[in-house]
Amino acid sequence: MAAMTRFFKRTEATIIIGTVLLFVIFAIVDTKGWFGFFTIRNITRFTAVLGLVAIGETLLILIREIDLSVGSVYGLVAITFISLEPALGVYLSFVVALLLAAAIGLLNALLVLRGRLSSMIVTLGGLFFYRGVIYVTTSGAVRSFAKETTQQWFVQLFGGNWLFRLENGLGWFLLTVIIFTYILFRTRYGNHLLAIGGDTLSAASRGVPVEAVKTIAFVLCSVLAGFAGIMTVADLPSTNVTIGTDVELEAIAAAVIGGVLLTGGRGSIIGAALGTYFLTAVRSELITLGAPPVWYISFVGFVLVFAAVVNISIQRRLAGAQTL
Amino acid sequence: MNPKERNEMSDDRQVLIEIKNITLNFGTVKALSDVSVNFYEGELVGLVGDNGAGKTTLIRILSGMYAPSAGEVYFDGQRITRFHPKLAIDLGIETIQQMVGLCDNLSVARNYYLGREPIKRLLGVIPVLDFAKMREASNKVVRNFGLRDTVNVDDEMALLSGGEGQAFKIGRAVDFRNRVIIMDEPTNHLSVRERAHVNELALQLRDQGLLVIYITHDIFQVHRLADRIIILENGRKVIDTPKDKMSAEALEQIIRDGSREVSKG
Repeated sequence: MAAMTRFFKRTEATIIIGTVLLFVIFAIVDTKGWFGFFTIRNITRFTAVLGLVAIGETLLILIREIDLSVGSVYGLVAITFISLEPALGVYLSFVVALLLAAAIGLLNALLVLRGRLSSMIVTLGGLFFYRGVIYVTTSGAVRSFAKETTQQWFVQLFGGNWLFRLENGLGWFLLTVIIFTYILFRTRYGNHLLAIGGDTLSAASRGVPVEAVKTIAFVLCSVLAGFAGIMTVADLPSTNVTIGTDVELEAIAAAVIGGVLLTGGRGSIIGAALGTYFLTAVRSELITLGAPPVWYISFVGFVLVFAAVVNISIQRRLAGAQTL
Repeated sequence: MNPKERNEMSDDRQVLIEIKNITLNFGTVKALSDVSVNFYEGELVGLVGDNGAGKTTLIRILSGMYAPSAGEVYFDGQRITRFHPKLAIDLGIETIQQMVGLCDNLSVARNYYLGREPIKRLLGVIPVLDFAKMREASNKVVRNFGLRDTVNVDDEMALLSGGEGQAFKIGRAVDFRNRVIIMDEPTNHLSVRERAHVNELALQLRDQGLLVIYITHDIFQVHRLADRIIILENGRKVIDTPKDKMSAEALEQIIRDGSREVSKG
């Protein structure tokens, strides 16, 4: 009983059960397709990309901030990586593209912390601004890697299929999940993130460097989104101007479905990762089962609200006699 | 201890904190104007005043959250030029406020070392939180400072009562070998028994040689505890007296008169 209570207390309890249910249902409804190689490859490929963005978003949601610009940053960094490669070579262009992401994160942090603006407004501005930059710099044209470039080991490192013919992106994603789970729950920085999300004033009164911790979170979020963009073009080496549209909303939805509370201080990386898997698997299966793909959008909305309701009712029930 | 001894002691008492002509403005509002106070080691000072008198502003300067607009602050003879919570904590100044200092979403053990978490190295390189140390130290405080036996240091802070939270904060402050404990309305919202417990702890800290600054607007409560009473009114110091020189009733009258003057003006 105590073990059960402990399990349900975890913010990711709902998504773990949800994922298991989803797995069983799809395995029954679509036995052959569900365990087919292409299904698994497709789901893991898209989970990896969206999951990286969702992990970054989770760090910010945990401290009661948000980044709505990640979709545009994802696109801008991907296009930067491709566009600079002929001039700088693949390594340097990789570094510059990620530095661009870091700079954007830093700028977000600066505007939010020093400018005392809401992160919602700052990053909504970023969403439009960086998308505009994409339109202007590419003039709406498709950018692609040359064929030889895609064969370079460094590009293959992010876009190849070395893991039992699965995308390397999956490996990067799993590595990121492990690293950030460690950071969040086993390091000083993670303790500070959780404390700030729970009670900023109390954290500050204990000497937690609130501004520095938040700045690092903004930078990490942008860099993870940028890295997801780089992984995408390493895998599918051409981009159009709409690359990354709506990614910010899907990433936030994935984190929330994964039990990351928008009120801050509660949530986990594994939850966000499973939330991403859940959304991606449903999208893939709806298409496989012949449902019109547009249904997926409505479905995301439904699952989002449903997950929030389940999470809240579990928290309330566990709180028991506590009325607050 | 007879009165004579006490007097001799007080003559060569160490001034721990010296506040000289401090003023703090928020825009056009003068939260503190020209306040000077000396605080000594091993005394319990009651800092009293009505709402908006400047008590909280004064202690926020001592705890590094505000910097004064004018005036000087000395700690242990050293002039303080930079004000930041971390620096105050490093000097051994701990502020215990009712609603501040504990994160409800973290475990008791994590709260204990918040801001100065102990680290050990996995395989000699990877830094990880030293949970064994965090649990051990926090458990000691939970057991020694009168919290329920059922409190587990892995529980979330939210499960503790208000009094337990206060006792835990005091225990934490003692364990970190602080020299100054500032208690801001430490017994608000506490049950009668919890209030007695917290006040008892305040006296114990004083007896161990710490400077305890006890902020409240309940003059009767603090008159029983304190060695000295300071009254602030409208950002100014109006009274600074050893408590045996004035009765609680007389002091209360001063606070009341002060408020009346304000409402007239």
